Amino acid sequence: MIRDTRLPSDELRRIDRGIRDTWPTGEAVDFQEAMAFHERLPTHKRFAQVLERSEQPLLQPRAGVARLGEQIDLLEYLQADGEADLLPTTIDSYTRDNEYRKAQQGLEAASESGAERLNGFPAVNHGVEGCRKLIEAVDAPIEVRHGTPDARLLAAITFAGGFQSFEGGPISYNIPYTKRQGLATTIEHWQYVDRLAGAYTERGVRINREPFGPLTGTLVPPSIAITVMLLEGMLATTQGVRSLTLGYGQVGNVVQDVAALRALRALGNECLPEEVCVTTVFHEWMGGFPPDEARASGVIGLGGMTAAIARPDKVITKSPQEFRGVPTKEANAAGLRTTRQIIDMALEQDIDIDGIDEEQALIERETRQLLEAVIGHGDGDVARGTVAAFESGALDVPFAPSESAQGAVLPARDDDGRVRILEFGDLAIDDEIKEIHAARLAQRAETEGRAQSFRMVADDVDAISDGRLIGRPSGGEGRAD
Amino acid sequence: MIPHTMSRTVVLGVIGSDAHVVGITILEQAFSAAGLTVINLGVQTSQAEFAEAADRHDADAVLVSSLYGHAEQDCQGFQETLEAHGVDAVTYIGGNLAVGQDDFEETRETFEDLGFDRVFDAETSPEEAIAALRRDLRIPITDQERVTVTS
Repeated sequence: MIRDTRLPSDELRRIDRGIRDTWPTGEAVDFQEAMAFHERLPTHKRFAQVLERSEQPLLQPRAGVARLGEQIDLLEYLQADGEADLLPTTIDSYTRDNEYRKAQQGLEAASESGAERLNGFPAVNHGVEGCRKLIEAVDAPIEVRHGTPDARLLAAITFAGGFQSFEGGPISYNIPYTKRQGLATTIEHWQYVDRLAGAYTERGVRINREPFGPLTGTLVPPSIAITVMLLEGMLATTQGVRSLTLGYGQVGNVVQDVAALRALRALGNECLPEEVCVTTVFHEWMGGFPPDEARASGVIGLGGMTAAIARPDKVITKSPQEFRGVPTKEANAAGLRTTRQIIDMALEQDIDIDGIDEEQALIERETRQLLEAVIGHGDGDVARGTVAAFESGALDVPFAPSESAQGAVLPARDDDGRVRILEFGDLAIDDEIKEIHAARLAQRAETEGRAQSFRMVADDVDAISDGRLIGRPSGGEGRAD
Repeated sequence: MIPHTMSRTVVLGVIGSDAHVVGITILEQAFSAAGLTVINLGVQTSQAEFAEAADRHDADAVLVSSLYGHAEQDCQGFQETLEAHGVDAVTYIGGNLAVGQDDFEETRETFEDLGFDRVFDAETSPEEAIAALRRDLRIPITDQERVTVTS
C-alpha cells in the first residue's frame, strides 16, 4: 500500500535502473556526471536561486516545438523580444503519454516536412545530450513544463540534461491529464521524481518543483486547487524537495483571485516545514479564450493586473492566439509584453479593494476542512489519504477526466463572477459553508430569472471566450466582434 | 421526458493522447438534451475503442474530438478501422485539429481526405453540431425539441 515515506537510497537506485531501460536514451543518464554538469552552470541559469531571490513577479511563457534548433531559436526570441525572465520547455503530448515511439514519428515528420507536427519538445527522444545543448545555448533558467502522469524517465533525462525546475505532481498531473492511470500508482511514480530531485538538492543542486495549480483549468474553486497544492507540497517535501512553487490559475474575478493567491502563500508557509522555500505562481486564465486577439489581450491584461495586486513570485503568461492552440513566437512574446506593461504600471500603486480579506478567510476555512478530511482518510498518512479521499469524493476536481476522481463537483459563478460550488457531490465541506455557496448561487439565479442547472455551468465555461465573465442567458447576443 | 420515436445513437470521444474533457462533457449534455442517445468514451480514446463502441451500440454517428494538435497523426487509418469493425456511421471531427495557427480550410481538406463527413473548428457551438446531425441522420424536429435545444 502507498505510504508517504521517503524512498530509501537502494530503492531509488533500483527504480532508476529499471526506468532508464524503458527507452534507449535512458542509458546516457549518469548521476555523478550530471552533478558535475549542473555545478558548472552559472548562477543566473539556476532556476531556484533566480526565482527565490527576485523582488518582483518574474514572467514565464509556455513554449515547445519538436526540433532542437527551433526550440533554441524560440526560447532566445522569447527572452529577447518577449523579455521573459524564466523560460520553459513544454513537452509534447505523446511524451506525456509515454508514447516515445509516436513522439519519434512526429519528430521525424517535423524534420522532413519543416512543419510543426508535435505540440511540444520530445525531451526523452532528444536525450541527455539534446537537453544539454539547449541548456548551454540559452542564457536563462529553463523549466520542464508538461502534463505527464508517469514522468520518471522524463525527469531522469531532463535532470541529467541540466534542467533545474520541473512542473507537475501526482495529483495535478493525474486528475486533469489521464483517464486510466490510478492515483496510487501515480503517487508512487512521483515519489521517485521528487526523491531524485531531493538527491540533487542534497548534493547542492536545488531542483525547483512546481505542482500544477490550475488543474482542469475550468472554473476550479480556489480551495480545491490550494488543497491539492498543499498535498503535493507535503509529498514532495517527504522526498527531499526544498524549493517548491505552488500554483493557482486565474478565475477572472479580481477579488477572488487575489484572495486565493494570498491564501495559497499563507497556507503554503504554514503547512510546509521551514526548511522548504515556498514560492507561488499565478497562471493567467487557463480556460477558453476569445478568438479575437484584441479581446484575448484584454483577458491577459486582467491577469497582469491581478498579479500586480497579489504579487506572486512568478506569472505564467498566455498569448493572444490561445484560442487556436500553439501560438506563433511573435504572439507568445506579445502576451509577455502585455503582461509586463500592466504589471510594471500597477506594481507602483497601492491598490486596495474591499472584500479580499473575507474571501481569503472563506477560502482558508474550506481548504482546512478539505485538508483535514484527506489526512483523516489516511489515518494521518497524506499519500493514503489522498487516494482514499478522491475515491470517496471527499476531495474532487470539476471536469476531471480521471477515473480516480468522482468528478461529481460542479462549479458555477455567482452574481459577482466568483467561482462557487453548485454540486458538492461528497466533497468534505461543512453545511455552513455549503449554505454560503448556495445563497450566492441562488442570488445569481434570481438575477437571471432561471433555475440553477448544468446549463448555467456550460454558459460559464464559454463566457470569457464569448466576451464576458459570467454566462448570463442574454450574454453574447448583441456583441459586436 | 418526451419519448423520442426517432432516437439515434452517437458515439463521442477524444482521440489519441489528448485529455481535454470539458468540450465533450458539454456536448454530451447538449446531445442528451436534444434527445440523442450518447455513448461518451471520454478522453484518450484509441481508434479501436471508437470502432468497438460504435459496433456494440450500433451507432449512427461517431464524433471525434481533438484539441491538442495531434489529430492528423491520431486519425491515420481511422475509416479503415471503422470498416474493419463493420461500422457504417456518419463521422465528424472537431476541435483544434492542427498544431499552431493553421488555415482552417486546409485543415478541413486534410480531414475530409481522411474520410470524415464533416470537419468543425473550435468555434462550433453544440447547436451547430446538433443541426448537422439532424440533417445527416434525417431526424425530424418537433416544437417540443426546439424548445429543449435552444432554452
